[in-house]
Amino acid sequence: MKLIVKNICLIALMAMTAGTRLNAQTNTNAALEFSHEPTRIDSESANLDLTGHKVVYRGHVRVDDPQMKLACQWLTVDLPEPGGRVDHIVAETNVVMNFVDARGNPARATGSRAVYSYQVHNGMTNETITLTGNPEIDTADAQSKGDVIVWDRISNQLRFINPKIISRQNLDGTLGGTNRPPAKTNPPAGTIGNAGGTIPNQP
Amino acid sequence: MTISVTRHPSLATWLLAAGTILFFAVPNGRTQLNGVQHASDFTSVEYFEPPHQQQMKSRLSGAEAQPQAGGLLLIKQLKLEMFNVDGRTEMIVNAPECVYDTFNGTASSPGHLQLQTGDGKFRVEGEGFLWRQTNSFLTISNSVRTVIEGMPALPASGQGAGK
Repeated sequence: MKLIVKNICLIALMAMTAGTRLNAQTNTNAALEFSHEPTRIDSESANLDLTGHKVVYRGHVRVDDPQMKLACQWLTVDLPEPGGRVDHIVAETNVVMNFVDARGNPARATGSRAVYSYQVHNGMTNETITLTGNPEIDTADAQSKGDVIVWDRISNQLRFINPKIISRQNLDGTLGGTNRPPAKTNPPAGTIGNAGGTIPNQP
Repeated sequence: MTISVTRHPSLATWLLAAGTILFFAVPNGRTQLNGVQHASDFTSVEYFEPPHQQQMKSRLSGAEAQPQAGGLLLIKQLKLEMFNVDGRTEMIVNAPECVYDTFNGTASSPGHLQLQTGDGKFRVEGEGFLWRQTNSFLTISNSVRTVIEGMPALPASGQGAGK
């Protein structure tokens, strides 16, 4: 029973802090609104394969998107057909994304690789950013890690595979201020658990 | 002198067209085959292979083409338009100046280059470039700036992840 309560607390904590939804649906048939703000990419150099319709940016790559800012060392963009849209972008090496979370607080995601994907199948739209390579998301409330972190840009949800979340907030809503070493959860993939562990409390 | 080259089905790429334009130019309706000459306000059009031979594949234009030593060709105010078989513009390239190496099939410049897709939703510019004709590979060396328009916006109910 004690274990169940702790697990429930952990689930509540995850939902409260990082906004995680482990089984988030990525499919939607909702109509997309297209941004009037352009996405800008700056880099030191670039290679354009006009036959393969691919652009590779190198060196201090900066992406300024209406929803986020991204930095990396290597960025590959698949050029769309005329009238089409960019549907595949890969960012590699020291990937850093800065964005605003649902509460309006700044958040930061890091990893060694991020893949943007946009697909429409049978009227269902998927638009995701998948972060791998020791991915991590830092918000004011929590530090969230996982083997893979998927940001569903349609439903605006984060999905973690093998999540490890360290809260910066106590269950009563106050910010943690003790000097206890941070407890880490490391449940098996596809499960949620903190058996025998403490409620995470990160200063 | 105004030169208009209307058909070069044997030209594989626009730069090949740039390299051969001075041999096949048609000033005042007469074909000149007497060697490389200075040309101005020139246009060169390449067509698709049959059965789309009526469709333009590319159109190259420039304000000036000046032969240089060593098989080089200095082109000013370069504009290249590439089309698909439906007639839609795939890409437009502009460069104030570039040097085309007729032997190696490359074009390069330390100057500015601008490229955009036909719908204008993807635009790239930078300083210094090298074009390799053989594989249609373009390298922009410095200060690359890209603008992409038409990316989806987040739902109006929220900004950022973690809702």
